[in-house]
Amino acid sequence: MEALTSLLAGFETALTPINLLWALIGVTLGTLVGVLPGIGPALTVALLLPVTAKLPPVSAFIMFAGIYYGGMFGGSTTSILLNTPGESASIITALEGNKMARKGRAAAALATAAIGSFIAGTIGTLLLTFAAPAIAEIAVQITPSAKFALIMLAFVTISATFGGSPLRGLLSLFLGLGIGLVGTDLQSGQARFALGRPELLDGIDFITVVIGLFAIGETLYVASRLRKGKSDVIKLEGGATMSKQDWRRSWGPWLRGTALGFPFGAIPAGGAEIPTFLSYTLEKRLSKHPEEFGQGAIEGVAGPEAANNASAAGVLVPLLTLGLPTSATAAILLAAFQQYGLQPGPLLFLTNGDLVWGLIASLYIGNVMLLALNLPLAPVWARLLLIPRPFLYAGILVFSTVGVYSLNNSVFDLGLLALFGVIGYGMRRFDFPVTPAIIGVVLGPTAESQFRTALQQSNGDPSIFVRQPLTAFLMLCVLAALTVPQILKWRARRAA
Amino acid sequence: MTHPPPPPTRRGISVPDLLVALALTALGLALLLGTRQIPFGINAVVGPRVFPVIVSSGLTALGVLLTVSVLRGGRAEPAAEEDTDLEAPVNLAAPGIILGGFALGAAVLTTAGFVVGTAIMYFSVAWAFGERRVGLMTGVALTVALVTYVAFTRGLGLSLPPGVLKGVL
Repeated sequence: MEALTSLLAGFETALTPINLLWALIGVTLGTLVGVLPGIGPALTVALLLPVTAKLPPVSAFIMFAGIYYGGMFGGSTTSILLNTPGESASIITALEGNKMARKGRAAAALATAAIGSFIAGTIGTLLLTFAAPAIAEIAVQITPSAKFALIMLAFVTISATFGGSPLRGLLSLFLGLGIGLVGTDLQSGQARFALGRPELLDGIDFITVVIGLFAIGETLYVASRLRKGKSDVIKLEGGATMSKQDWRRSWGPWLRGTALGFPFGAIPAGGAEIPTFLSYTLEKRLSKHPEEFGQGAIEGVAGPEAANNASAAGVLVPLLTLGLPTSATAAILLAAFQQYGLQPGPLLFLTNGDLVWGLIASLYIGNVMLLALNLPLAPVWARLLLIPRPFLYAGILVFSTVGVYSLNNSVFDLGLLALFGVIGYGMRRFDFPVTPAIIGVVLGPTAESQFRTALQQSNGDPSIFVRQPLTAFLMLCVLAALTVPQILKWRARRAA
Repeated sequence: MTHPPPPPTRRGISVPDLLVALALTALGLALLLGTRQIPFGINAVVGPRVFPVIVSSGLTALGVLLTVSVLRGGRAEPAAEEDTDLEAPVNLAAPGIILGGFALGAAVLTTAGFVVGTAIMYFSVAWAFGERRVGLMTGVALTVALVTYVAFTRGLGLSLPPGVLKGVL
């Protein structure tokens, strides 16, 4: 029960008044950006990184964790009241939840989403509490070659296995890897791809890449295809509540959704999209009223929302124990750790135990805060959807500019920001997923350094990647992750 | 009532898609050429050139694959976002105005100052998103820029260029 002792110490850290305040700021900001279109948790954490450099790391991470969980809660509000999912994991919520809202059951849909998110988030955090230290203990012994193979596996699953088009996902990944190479090579001191510009010798700050691809790219893209006319927001009177019958129909889907979501988040499987779809299919099959599905069935909101939040907790397992981000937000969190000179991974539990456990404890606290924020205050958040788009997107662009400019006080960085904005526009227009590029930028340098360390230890013998048993196994997994989905697709097409 | 145009046939080659595929291939080749300028490195088993060669070769190969798939009739579907309407005609002037305003704002940021620079950016985005109440936009733009400036310089201790407001704030 070492985990329990550590967790209690973590609560001691998280329950100080100042850290509670940071948690409250985090969950409020998170809900806010989750509700607002055009801005999400990944972008928000990236924007806040330059300005939080002076905070103690524990406080900063408690706030970031609040933003991370809060974004999930806020996203469901938008899906239910506006029927426009901000991310693929909310497609189902938008489908069923908006139908419910149109039938006058918006309050019940919001309530089952919020309570389901709370339950899934809490169970997920509980699983994280006990799984993470155990995995960290094993992970300490992983060799550099296996670490490299593990990163390869994350690269492939995130970009190719679970995306719409493996080719486009991999191109996005390689673009990110290329961006990550620019600058001075730390091992040899040689400049790479710096084009003779002194500004590029330090490398391209990932914050510039993230803000350009997400915020500027999104602004340019939305401007080019703006939805005309008034947005169709469903009015909400009073807070989010639900009846006894709604409770009876919701608790099963919440628990099953959690069971589906957490493992999918914990393995590098490219986010929450798949478990939400699985949960929806499962609930439809188990339901006594399958005819209600597609017309506003509460089970179809409860299950997928729980799966979504449980997978968000699952994502933290590989991030904290292996230093392996499996979503865009997790990649930014990894970069945030690096900014503080911390390397997530098995050693983090030993060297910075109070930080990790304070962070995990704050997740429990943040979940309670989010429930309190979202049930009675639902109408307040709903009003945010009425902000006129011209002023909203203009504000996002100005904050992006401040965030990037304050990195180095350099106008050159603003040029880079515009460049990545145009690339972000192109990626949306031509159907390239953004997450693999972000993962490539953040994780590429780690991949290279593990690759070089492994080869240095074997005196340049590349067979290390097939001789070391764990590495060989992981490499086989990489191969399978690349080929199996293609074979399945090919067989399905031949059968059809 | 006007009918939406029929979906484009799968057989034709999409020129924009082809240009993107060729540009990615060219970028891969350019990076591959760029690796020749990286020295091998001394006393290292794996020098600074190895990984860049792997990445740029991979990018080139994937670019070629994408080109082939486009030549065989493949094309990309534009992403659906919260505030977009995929049926609406594409308006490329709007992103152009945003980029132009951004460039202008960035160009005057150090001389005219942060507040003026970001207010220009704010105004151009709002204009590109269809807002035409010029007085309101100017007021909101200046307020947002000013509040941001004060919050970041006074509250968070960052240094942003004051420009024309030097000594006033």
